[in-house]
Amino acid sequence: MAVLALSLRQGRISAPFRWLGAEILRFVPVVLLSTLITFGITALAPDDTAAQIAGQGGTPAQIAAINHRLGLDRSFPDRYASWLWHALHGNLGVSYFTQIPVTASIEQRFPVDLSIALFALLFSVVGGVVGGLLAATHPGGLLDRSITALGSIALAIPEFWLAILLVIFLAVKIRLFPATGYVTTSSSLVDWARHLVLASVTLAAPVAAVIARQLRISTLNELDENYVTGVLVRGFSGRRILFKHVLRNSAAPAVATIGISMPSLLGGAVIAETVFALPGVGQLAIDSAQAHDIPVIQGILLVTIGVVLLSNLTVDALLGWLRPGVRRS
Amino acid sequence: MSLLGRALPTAYLRLAAGVVVFMFALAAFGGLIAPRNPLAQGAGDAFAGSSWAHPLGTDFLGRDTLSRLITGARPSLLSAAVAVAIGLLGGAIPGMASVFLARRVEYVLMRAVDALMTIPPIIFAIAVVAGFGNGLDQAVIAIGILLVPRFFRIVRAETLTFASAQYVEAATLLGASKTDVLRRHVWRKVLPTLAVISASTMGYAVLGISGLAFLGLGELAPAASWGSMLSTDLTYLYQAPWAAIWPGLAIFVTVWALNALSDSVHRGAPLSGRAAAVEPASPEEEEELTERARVPQYV
Repeated sequence: MAVLALSLRQGRISAPFRWLGAEILRFVPVVLLSTLITFGITALAPDDTAAQIAGQGGTPAQIAAINHRLGLDRSFPDRYASWLWHALHGNLGVSYFTQIPVTASIEQRFPVDLSIALFALLFSVVGGVVGGLLAATHPGGLLDRSITALGSIALAIPEFWLAILLVIFLAVKIRLFPATGYVTTSSSLVDWARHLVLASVTLAAPVAAVIARQLRISTLNELDENYVTGVLVRGFSGRRILFKHVLRNSAAPAVATIGISMPSLLGGAVIAETVFALPGVGQLAIDSAQAHDIPVIQGILLVTIGVVLLSNLTVDALLGWLRPGVRRS
Repeated sequence: MSLLGRALPTAYLRLAAGVVVFMFALAAFGGLIAPRNPLAQGAGDAFAGSSWAHPLGTDFLGRDTLSRLITGARPSLLSAAVAVAIGLLGGAIPGMASVFLARRVEYVLMRAVDALMTIPPIIFAIAVVAGFGNGLDQAVIAIGILLVPRFFRIVRAETLTFASAQYVEAATLLGASKTDVLRRHVWRKVLPTLAVISASTMGYAVLGISGLAFLGLGELAPAASWGSMLSTDLTYLYQAPWAAIWPGLAIFVTVWALNALSDSVHRGAPLSGRAAAVEPASPEEEEELTERARVPQYV
């Protein structure tokens, strides 16, 4: 790390690698800290798991033996280091109670949440970009004001309530979408998507609102720039200018929003899956929390944080491509 | 123009302020004005529709929905306020200090905030409950911790702007210490912004805590909070589809009003003369500041 930092400062590394190096410098401590938080809040908590496993007739010796088997008698740094080491090798331990490997449970359920989050991302980008651009190209008009109003509604609406409303209207009343349940991709791709649409729309609403807001403001600012008048005077069509020049410059804040929204989308998927009875990690997490099944919770937190970090890296790369001038280095 | 007229120039803002005052009044005095006992189970008339005795009907145990809504205001708002206070203390103070501390400390603080921002809120709250047991305290603390980055980043950005002002430079040259600068020049100017962020963050906290209650975490039965009411309504969605409207509406209206108030300040309609004095370094920076604050961090 120190060597990397030093060579970056001295400019001994060429540009693309310098960017990568800077990202690593920023990400490694974040990864360490977020895993430490993950492990810490669950591992430092008062733990009577061994007594629970031993049952009512458990003798102190049995409890001590279980503690030893689970590694709970070791020091905190020791436990954290070995947990992280195993996690990096794809081993998240086994559930205290079912003995099922945590990775197996997560592998089975996490695709559901990931699909919800990705669908939601898609909907929020489409909705946000269309809304933001429409509002920016008709400033002050009825369309602009309606989009702004819709946005402030979307930001204040509790998503689980929106989900319930959608179920009442689109699933129970007119049966456009299935209210609950899940089908795997292998049986029918269309059915799979139909079962995820309502959940994803629910999660997408507030994110779309923020993207639309960001894009509206930055596009309006960008349209005021002199170069826009310049190309307009030269006779290029408004549409071409908007998509070819303006959008590239004004997209950055909206793209940054997507990165910041990823944790809420993944967290929201947990709520959405409750409303729509989808078999994701959320129910597993809640059940494990009630049973005090720590390895499962730790695994779920770690995997979701990993996805967030990956999407942050992608967004950073995208931002660097959009605005080479302000690339972090 | 009257003071009220200046503070709230449009009907829209007056409505928002009215809603906020009303909801806080419910939270303070709701127990006194609720027409019925929110926990009393009137056996026999479960899922009753609207009537004189029960204007908003009853729930699955025959409890009066209106009374439950009114008394639900306190747990919903009070817990959100505590979460905001945790975020404020945990975020604003380190945020301000980070500008003046050694670079190493600053670096660690910033990475810690980055790390907090990667954690999906609901799952974090579930993990806290797993470790420390289910209860309102645990839920509130979890949400509060996740509000820290929001306060940290905005307060830090503001502090950076103020701390690089020329009069601060002059004061430093005249021998003012870091604490003097912080106390006299920065703290007071950050305060209005802090009030504004607190309002919008309060909205998110309401959403977050009711989201947790919806999952059965935090506020526990039989006490009514808006989120837990929605959760039971969901169970009986097919018997009484309209019951779910009311608690959701209460949350929505409250969050909308809080957002509207804080947005109005961002848009340049100052709540007070002092708020107007906060000038961002550049329009871009202001956008970034305000929009970052708006990113939905709840659930």
